[in-house]
Amino acid sequence: MDFGLTQPQELLRDSIARFLAQDVGIERVRRVMDSESGRDEAIHGQLGDQGITGLLIDMDLGGSELGMQEAAIAAQELGRAAAPVNFHSAYVLAPLMLAGADAGDRKSTLLKGIAEGSLLITPILEAPVDDGRIEGTVLYVPDAAWSDAFLLETSGSLYLVDASVSGIGITPLETVDDTRRVAEVTFSGIDLGAAESLGGSAENTRRAVQAAQIALAADALGAAQKGLHISVEYARERKQFDRIIGSFQAVKHICAEVLAEVDPVQSLLWHAADAWDGGSDEIDHLAPLLKAHATDVASNAVTMTTQVFGGMGFTHECDMHIFYKRAGYDRQMLGNPTALREEAAAVMYG
Amino acid sequence: MDTSIGSEYDSLREEVRAFLTANEDVAVPAGPGFGGDASQVRERTLEWQKRLFDAGYAGRTIPKRYGGAGHEPDALASLVIEEEFQSAGISLGMESQGTGMFVPTLLHFGREDQKQELIRPTMRGELIWCQGYSEPGSGSDLASLRTSAVLDGDEYVINGQKIWTSGAREADMMFALIRTEADAGKHGGISYIVLSMDTPGIDIRPLMTMTGDASFNEVFFTDVRVPATNVVGRPGQGWEVGTYTLRYERNMLGRSNATENYFDGCVDILRETGLIESPVYRDRLLKLEGRVQAMKYHQLRLLTDMLKKRDSGAGGLIVKLNNCQLNYDICALAIDGMAERGVLKRGSKHVRDYGNWQRNYMYALGLIIGGGTAQIQKNIIGERGLGLPREPKPAAA
Repeated sequence: MDFGLTQPQELLRDSIARFLAQDVGIERVRRVMDSESGRDEAIHGQLGDQGITGLLIDMDLGGSELGMQEAAIAAQELGRAAAPVNFHSAYVLAPLMLAGADAGDRKSTLLKGIAEGSLLITPILEAPVDDGRIEGTVLYVPDAAWSDAFLLETSGSLYLVDASVSGIGITPLETVDDTRRVAEVTFSGIDLGAAESLGGSAENTRRAVQAAQIALAADALGAAQKGLHISVEYARERKQFDRIIGSFQAVKHICAEVLAEVDPVQSLLWHAADAWDGGSDEIDHLAPLLKAHATDVASNAVTMTTQVFGGMGFTHECDMHIFYKRAGYDRQMLGNPTALREEAAAVMYG
Repeated sequence: MDTSIGSEYDSLREEVRAFLTANEDVAVPAGPGFGGDASQVRERTLEWQKRLFDAGYAGRTIPKRYGGAGHEPDALASLVIEEEFQSAGISLGMESQGTGMFVPTLLHFGREDQKQELIRPTMRGELIWCQGYSEPGSGSDLASLRTSAVLDGDEYVINGQKIWTSGAREADMMFALIRTEADAGKHGGISYIVLSMDTPGIDIRPLMTMTGDASFNEVFFTDVRVPATNVVGRPGQGWEVGTYTLRYERNMLGRSNATENYFDGCVDILRETGLIESPVYRDRLLKLEGRVQAMKYHQLRLLTDMLKKRDSGAGGLIVKLNNCQLNYDICALAIDGMAERGVLKRGSKHVRDYGNWQRNYMYALGLIIGGGTAQIQKNIIGERGLGLPREPKPAAA
């Protein structure tokens, strides 16, 4: 019995945290947030250098061939840092969907590019493919404005479309969480022959989506933990009525309640990542249950800890809103808590 | 991550299963499905406790010289036993003041003769204990207690009053915190004293609780004489001795396997009533399930910390707060699932599960308050877990 991270996993967590503290500080995050495009061009290469992009990619393709537990560790740290990257999409969903593609040089090249951090592939699930043509509009596509290619999935089959082919129109959308952007992508009658067919299976895609849901849950947990951390720091320093505000039970109890809710989510996350890695059937119920619970807890956590800051919590200057919005994005993407609870219930109770 | 327990525990698992099968006739169910006539329930609970202790499943680590099984502390063996009892839906015995709180304290602080005399009958359910801590003016601020004992020769003479004393009328014995030195400071002058409940001068008045049971009492002491040797630990050491016991109480109030049995019972009710098909009920059920599962794996994390002799920090402090509220919320959904049937209580025609759902719903509220209220727990989590400052003492009036 050794429930929790192994020593190598703890070392990985610490090294990612060190890298993020040093190179992806809150000033850099804020610069990206304030920019028009919301793009951090350098971060993919840096994450590649750190091995964070290739955690789920085979070693002979430049990855480290680790598992979901390691990917969840990375996602949690990225959430804690509010790092400007759609990790769940670019480095969990994309490589795992590609892993189910037909073997071949093309597949290897793509995975190598992802592991290096030089290739940004954005998956589009249930893509509008009909009658040999790609035709239609897809909404809320992460990173679309600067993706190198789109990985279209339709009934389990995968097609890769280069972002530069004519007939793709991209309109950035304004997102609440400025650290991660989404866009509208319109495909205007592109012949499917212009896309590369990569094979694939519905079962593999389903598992990849569950992994991405775990990554979003981890990101939300990291954001909630960071929100609690900075609010507790503030409550230990800020004085009102000649007292440190953290000594008031009204403030202290907010922090205690949030900790009591957030802390057990860590254990559920570890268990879910482990179940995914072990290929257990339990994951069909567990992935939606985890994401529903973790993002619900995170939403409440950031709602409450923002209030610890009083009026400061409502300002742009205070960092709290960054984590508040981060948790909000994690909550909505790939299934919100209410929808996911229904999904988990259908698996468990019919 | 390794959540396996190891094949060296396979034989223990077999042994537990064989014991449960062989004792089916007396085994007490763990979930909501046990109840009925109060004296029969009590008799069967005591008989089951005897069998558990004699077989080494209750008080497993108690040394053989005190009648225990004398096993080395082994968290994995305990886990195997708990898992098997839970999957059979069988109770692991009385979680009483005596077995859960007094015995661990006595093992740590008691004299050899006290251990020889009191541990075995307590563990077999032959000596029933109650706890004399709270007083009318001393609840959350326990150390302000005023019941006093004055030394007269080789006896203490006790005067004062205790309140919220669970099971005082059924108890044979009490362990109590009593002020033996008036001038030794708030925490300094308290002693931990054991006394027989039939000592002259003890007067018990029942207090009816909201569950309809008169399980609480007021206990009055008028010139109650007990031997001075009845102190556990040193005179004046009572605060340390008594709060050591409270640590056990908080573990006892936060156990999670009963939670899973009740959750399963709640699912059964929703299935039977067809409400499991209702999206609104499903949503409530799945919200609870997220919390149940999170606490289940949280316990495995705490167990791992224990095996590695690592401090769990705030992780250990949140268990009582979370599990008591979770038990309460599970009962609430089960009662809603019963609709109007949910108004019935024990003894009524048409009542489900002997009225255990309503009883446990209210009892869980009692546990949210008891053993350090939820609000006191939040102070402890905030101060010890998060390093927030204590509330300053008010300036003297």
